[in-house]
Amino acid sequence: MALTRRNFLELAAATTALSAVNIGAAQAQDVNTLRMGIAASGPRHSDPNLTTQGSDNWATEQIYEQLVRPDDGRFALKPEEYLPTLATEWTQSDDAKSWTFKLRQGVQFHRGYGEMTSEDVVFSFERAIKEGTNRTILSNIESVTAKGPYEVAITLKQPDVNLLGTSIFNNNTSIVSKKAHAKIGAEAFATDAVGTGPYELVQFDPGFGMRLKRHEGYWSNKAKIANVECVYIADTTARTLALLSGNVDMIEAVRAPGWIDSMLQRDPTLKIDMTSPGSFNTLHVNLTRAPFDNLKVRQALMHAIDRPGVAQALAPMGGTMAGLQPDFFPAGYKTQDLPPDLQYPYDPKKAKALLAEAGFPSGLTFEALCSQREDYSSTMLIVQEQLRLAGFNMNLKMMDHTAYHAANRSDQNTLAMHSSSYPPIPTQIYFQQLSKASEAKSDGKGGGNYSHYGVAMPGIDDKLSAALQATDYETYLKLCKEIELQVLRDLPLIGLSTLGFTAVRSARVDLGYPVQSGYARWRFHRATKTA
Amino acid sequence: MAKVPNLVIRMARYILLRVADAIPTLWLVLTLVFIAMRILPGDPALAALGDSALPEQLAEFRERMGLNVPLWQQYLQFLGGVLTLDFGRSLLTNTPVLTLIAKNLPYTIELTVAAMLMGIVAGIPLGVLAGTNRNKGPDTGVRIFSLIGYAIPDFFLGAILLITFSLNLGWFPISGAGTDLMSRLHHLFLPALTLAFVKAAFLGRLTRTSLLEVLGKEYVRTARAKGAKESRVIYRHGLRNALLPISTGLGLSLLSTLSGSVAVELVFNRPGIGRLLIDAIAQRDYALIQGGVLVFAGFVVIINLMMDLVYVVVDPRVRVN
Repeated sequence: MALTRRNFLELAAATTALSAVNIGAAQAQDVNTLRMGIAASGPRHSDPNLTTQGSDNWATEQIYEQLVRPDDGRFALKPEEYLPTLATEWTQSDDAKSWTFKLRQGVQFHRGYGEMTSEDVVFSFERAIKEGTNRTILSNIESVTAKGPYEVAITLKQPDVNLLGTSIFNNNTSIVSKKAHAKIGAEAFATDAVGTGPYELVQFDPGFGMRLKRHEGYWSNKAKIANVECVYIADTTARTLALLSGNVDMIEAVRAPGWIDSMLQRDPTLKIDMTSPGSFNTLHVNLTRAPFDNLKVRQALMHAIDRPGVAQALAPMGGTMAGLQPDFFPAGYKTQDLPPDLQYPYDPKKAKALLAEAGFPSGLTFEALCSQREDYSSTMLIVQEQLRLAGFNMNLKMMDHTAYHAANRSDQNTLAMHSSSYPPIPTQIYFQQLSKASEAKSDGKGGGNYSHYGVAMPGIDDKLSAALQATDYETYLKLCKEIELQVLRDLPLIGLSTLGFTAVRSARVDLGYPVQSGYARWRFHRATKTA
Repeated sequence: MAKVPNLVIRMARYILLRVADAIPTLWLVLTLVFIAMRILPGDPALAALGDSALPEQLAEFRERMGLNVPLWQQYLQFLGGVLTLDFGRSLLTNTPVLTLIAKNLPYTIELTVAAMLMGIVAGIPLGVLAGTNRNKGPDTGVRIFSLIGYAIPDFFLGAILLITFSLNLGWFPISGAGTDLMSRLHHLFLPALTLAFVKAAFLGRLTRTSLLEVLGKEYVRTARAKGAKESRVIYRHGLRNALLPISTGLGLSLLSTLSGSVAVELVFNRPGIGRLLIDAIAQRDYALIQGGVLVFAGFVVIINLMMDLVYVVVDPRVRVN
């Protein structure tokens, strides 16, 4: 039979359509690969010492491990909640300055780089102290020395009762292979580092993402799914469609009001995993800008902002903050446990009265800068509306996220929202957002204390210093709780709400554990996937 | 020794002159981009290290990346780098800019070429159909199609196609660019179709107008009076002479396809220069922005040069002059 041109075209079209359907189905049904849709354009690093793009940590979380870790899906709220990981036991001296870790024997690095020993641990720590992105936190470490092949001693300059949280369970101090670093070279190591985790890196592709495969020599239970692919899809629509079509199994969520509801309407079988607290959304009140130097105006702000209302508007991701720490964190307060004058219930009438007492009976108009990023803009638009009801006319000037942070750092904002994630180590937020040392400077070379607390008025520096010197955890916590109360009295920084990190996954994937709290990434080694 | 034809010498001289003309243009573009990026608010160190970075970390980053030296020094270093084809390293990934461009450029080129081919294959026949059926059904249909093509934004059409053919029908991949040849073609089809839709609308309209103008000329009437077949009148006398404005339109269309690829690469999550540039701008990655813009500017220069050469081929009057 002769093949006419029409026959040929019909045949070609049918073949293309069929092959397309088959390819789509194959992707959805591959139970040996978990595909995670990451909310960024492309990976920047796979070396845990260098990651500055939070999304890259979805891969590093699978590839590397630290000496200790909290259980999957949660933070360790207290030091005793950390689990032995690459270290099996540890001790600390009475002054909390000398720590010793016994290493697990028989832990193998990926790609045949041999057994992990104290030499690798010392190398990893020294590298982190010298060039890690968190080296400021690690600068308290005086020395790390090997005491035999399976023991390491860490000596600190100042006591740190929270060492496990500040410096041991830290991305930078993930243990990497010294031998691999020497062989691969420092530059290539940035995208090709070698760790001990349940998955090993197979491919780092800036245009696609990262491909990982199961580490067959893993020291504990091997990962159940053979491969993990971290696929970078920055565009929200494309990422959402990728999940709904089965092209990926999980995606990082859009943290905007109503997004989760819309996803569940489209596919009610989807599973939502969410951390609490996630980000701490705080509002810096610039104490150098009149009239915000007036305590009554700041108190009026507190009564004008319906903080539970902000959290409710961001539901189910939003959470209420009574102070600066979530109420289940060690230094946190529940609202009802605070002194009545520091509870600041939502009361627009009281806010108006306080504003009148401060000399603004007919209200107050001011400008504030705001980032266009969805979590910032949605929160600040809610706050703007609440403030309006109490007589504050806040004119928001929207700008792109990079420009916004540069403006805050160079002291150009009045009420500056900030969103950052913190572990249950209270001193971190105090140091970064309230200490004198972190004050924002007009030349942009300062830090993240946009309120000028501790400079424009006495701050918490003495208490913070005492907490950081504490040699027992109870004293440390007591001082942190005092700081919480002082901040609520002085109001340089308002805790608006928390905003949980959220991922949405197909019902085919079971993580193997519930996600409760923790950083914005979770491990896949216990996950299973059905067709 | 064979004598080099006079025309070839003139052509070579013409091309060299045009290339020399392009140098000041490229220099101006690079200088403007350099200045614009420094005026734009935003700190690359803060973008690279995150908003919780401490002052000493930011200071060290600025020093390491040469951002703390005076602007004139940064400018001279940048121009010196361009002359030696060293565009520096990405501030975010520390990867050489040239490597990033080399990895992403093929995806943008394949998308642009595929979209142009699809646009030409659909647009010119549609224009001929409309032009030869003036004020009849096919003409109205083509005009409506052109109107829709002009009006619909690339990113919106892309999202519609993605939802229809990838999500609901599952015929095409949702994102990425594929690996082997078949997979790459499979990934390329919908993004190229998105861009081609607008191209076809533009070229259809342009071809129709040009053809109608030519078909009204006396020599066409003469050809018909001599009894030439209608197909010969349309293709030999009509379309061939309508090609000059169409070739100008093709050049403009190619440039707009390149710029349109930015949105399409984002919607379809394809690698490419457009996506690379958008991310670099958001993160104030100066070196990458400068390198990416240079590539786009280079394309503009090359496409303009190609169009001039096409004129020489298509229009004998240009050749004579």
